[in-house]
Amino acid sequence: MSSFKPQNNRAWIGVLPVLLVVAFSAVVPLMTVVNYSVQDILDFNTRFFVGFEWYQETLNDQRFIDAFIRQVGFSLTILVVELPLGIAVAKGIPKESRFTPIILILLALPLLIPWNVVGTIWQIFARPDIGLLGVGINALGISYNYTVEPLHAWLTLVAMDVWHWTSLIALLSFAGLTAIPKPFYQAAELDCANRWQVFRHVELPRLRGVLIIGVLLRLMDSFMIYTEPFVLTGGGPGNSTTMLSQHLATMAVGQFDLGPAAAFSVIYFLFILLFCWLFYTSVVRTDD
Amino acid sequence: MAGISLDNLSFKYPGAQDATLSKLNLNIANGEAHALLGASGAGKTTLLNILSGLLRPTGGVLRFDDLDVSNQQGRERNVAQVFQFPVLYESLTVAENLAFPLKTKKLQSKVITQRLDYICSELELDELRSVKPAKLSLFQKQLVAVGKALVRPDVSLVLLDEPLTAVEPRVKWRLRQTLRRVQADLKVTMIYVTHDQTEALTFADRVSVLTAGGILQTGTPEEVYASPEHEFVGHFVGSPGMNFLPANALGVADAERVGFRPEWATLTGNQPSSAQKRGHLHGSVLRIRVQGAKAGKPFGLVTMATSQGEIAIRGYIPDTSITAGDSLGVCVHRCIGYTNELKVSDIEFL
Repeated sequence: MSSFKPQNNRAWIGVLPVLLVVAFSAVVPLMTVVNYSVQDILDFNTRFFVGFEWYQETLNDQRFIDAFIRQVGFSLTILVVELPLGIAVAKGIPKESRFTPIILILLALPLLIPWNVVGTIWQIFARPDIGLLGVGINALGISYNYTVEPLHAWLTLVAMDVWHWTSLIALLSFAGLTAIPKPFYQAAELDCANRWQVFRHVELPRLRGVLIIGVLLRLMDSFMIYTEPFVLTGGGPGNSTTMLSQHLATMAVGQFDLGPAAAFSVIYFLFILLFCWLFYTSVVRTDD
Repeated sequence: MAGISLDNLSFKYPGAQDATLSKLNLNIANGEAHALLGASGAGKTTLLNILSGLLRPTGGVLRFDDLDVSNQQGRERNVAQVFQFPVLYESLTVAENLAFPLKTKKLQSKVITQRLDYICSELELDELRSVKPAKLSLFQKQLVAVGKALVRPDVSLVLLDEPLTAVEPRVKWRLRQTLRRVQADLKVTMIYVTHDQTEALTFADRVSVLTAGGILQTGTPEEVYASPEHEFVGHFVGSPGMNFLPANALGVADAERVGFRPEWATLTGNQPSSAQKRGHLHGSVLRIRVQGAKAGKPFGLVTMATSQGEIAIRGYIPDTSITAGDSLGVCVHRCIGYTNELKVSDIEFL
C-alpha cells in the first residue's frame, strides 16, 4: 500500500507557520497563565510553587461565587429573551420585498457598534435625570434609577444586551428561514397544518443548525461581558452587576493578585468550555 | 376522490407577455391515473400549482366533480402532493408523519390507526414506523412522502411532481410499481407530472402531452404512441422519436409531411429498390446499433441518411455484413400524414 502513498515529510514545513501562529497566539499565553496560577511570585528571583492553592482559594471565595451566579443568571436571561425574540423578528421580515435589504441593514446596525459605545449610549439614554428612557419611565409614574436600584441596573443591562445582540439571532434565523424550500410550506398547507404546526414542524427543525450557532455565540460572548456593565455602573450598585470578567480585572489589574487571578482565568476558561460542551452535546444527543 | 375537469383554464403570470397556460381543456375521470408529459417550460409546474391551489387561474374554471374550486385555498381542496424531493416533517417519526394529515383533519384515533396500518403494510413501511426521516434513504423518504399523500381516506386528488427525480435509478422502478399498485388498489385520482416518457407511459391510464401551446393530445399510452395527433407528440414520445420526411418521399399526396415510427419500417437488403414505389425509400447507413438477436437474426436500430433527411429503423438487420456507408432499401408499412403539424391521414402501405 505504501507505494500508493508516497511519504513526503516536506509537507510539515508548510504546516509550520500555522503551528507558530497558534503557539504564539494561544498556547504560549495560556501556558503563561497556567504558570502564574500554580506559583506565588514575589519578585523576579523569588517564587514558590503553591500547587492548587490559588484554585482552592478562588473556588471558596464568596465574591467569585456571587459573580459566577450573576454571570450564569445573566447569560441565561439574555438567551431566553434573545432567542424567541430573534426568531420572531426573523419571521416578521418579508422574504421577497424591495424593503428586505433595507430592513436587514437596519437590523445589522447595532451589531456594528462597539461595546463601550453601546454602554455609553445606554448610560445616557437610561439616566433618570437627562436620558430619554429614564425620564420617560419615570414620567409614566414608575420610579426608575439604575444607579441606585440593583434590579433596575440589572434590567438595563439585559435590555442593552437584547438591543445589541437580538439582531444576530434574527439575521441568522432569517438566513435559515429563507433556505427552506417552498414545497415544505406547500405540503404543510395541503396537510391543513396551522401556523404553529408549520413553525414547530417545518421551520424550527430547519432552523436548528443556525440556532445552535447563535446560542453558542451568545453564550460565549455573554459569558465574557465586561465593557457594558463597567461603563453603565462600574459593576454596581454595590456588586450587583459585577460579572466574572470585571471581578477578574479587579483582581489582576486593580489588586495585582496575579496568582489568584491566573487561577481564576483558568477556571473561567474551563467553565466557558464546559457550558458550550454541555449545550452542544445535549443538543446533538437529542438528535438520536 | 373526484373527477377533475379543466374548462378553458388559463394562467398568465403578472407582468408576463404571454400566458403560460392558455385555454386548457381536460377531463380526468374519478380514479384515473393521468400523466402530464411535457418538456421543461411547458407549464407543467404552473398547472400543478393551479391544481393544488397555490395559484389561482386567471381564466377558465377548474372543477372537482361538479364543484368549482378555482378560487379555493389548497387546504380546502383535500388535495395531496408528492414533490420532486421528499418533503417530510423532519422532527416527526415516520408514523407521526403519516398520521399528520389525518390529525389535522381531526379524524378519530381508531380511523387513524386503521389508515396507518393499511398504508404501512401496503408500502412496507412497518419496520420504519418509529424512525425519523434523517435516518432514511432517499427512496424510503420518498416512499413515506407517497404514503403521506395517500393516507387520507377521502383525498380528492393526488398530485405527483416528478416524484422519481431524486430517487436513484436502481429503485426507481420499485417506487413506480408500488405507486401503480396502490393507485389501482385505492382507485385514487392521480396526476403524475413528468418529462420522462417511460414513466408517463408505464404509469398512467391516460397521458396528456403538454407544450407551451397547450395540450396537444390526450389518450391512452398506446394511442399516444401509435397515433400521435401532432408532430411534436410523435417526436417527443418514443425513443428515438418518430421519423419525419416530406410527404413526397413516400409518395403520399394528401399531406405536407409524413411520420413513421422506427419499427413501422423494415430494411430490404442491400439492393436499393429500383422503382419509386409508395412507401419505399433508399439511403445509406450511418450507424448500426445491434440490440440483440432473435432466431439467429440480429436485431437493432439502424440510422440512415436518405436524400430527404435522416431516419431511424428498428427491426431485423437483414445482413450481418452491413456496415456504415452501405446503400439499403427501406420499406415503410405504415405512416401518418401531417399538415400544419396536425394529423390528417393514417396510411397503411400494402
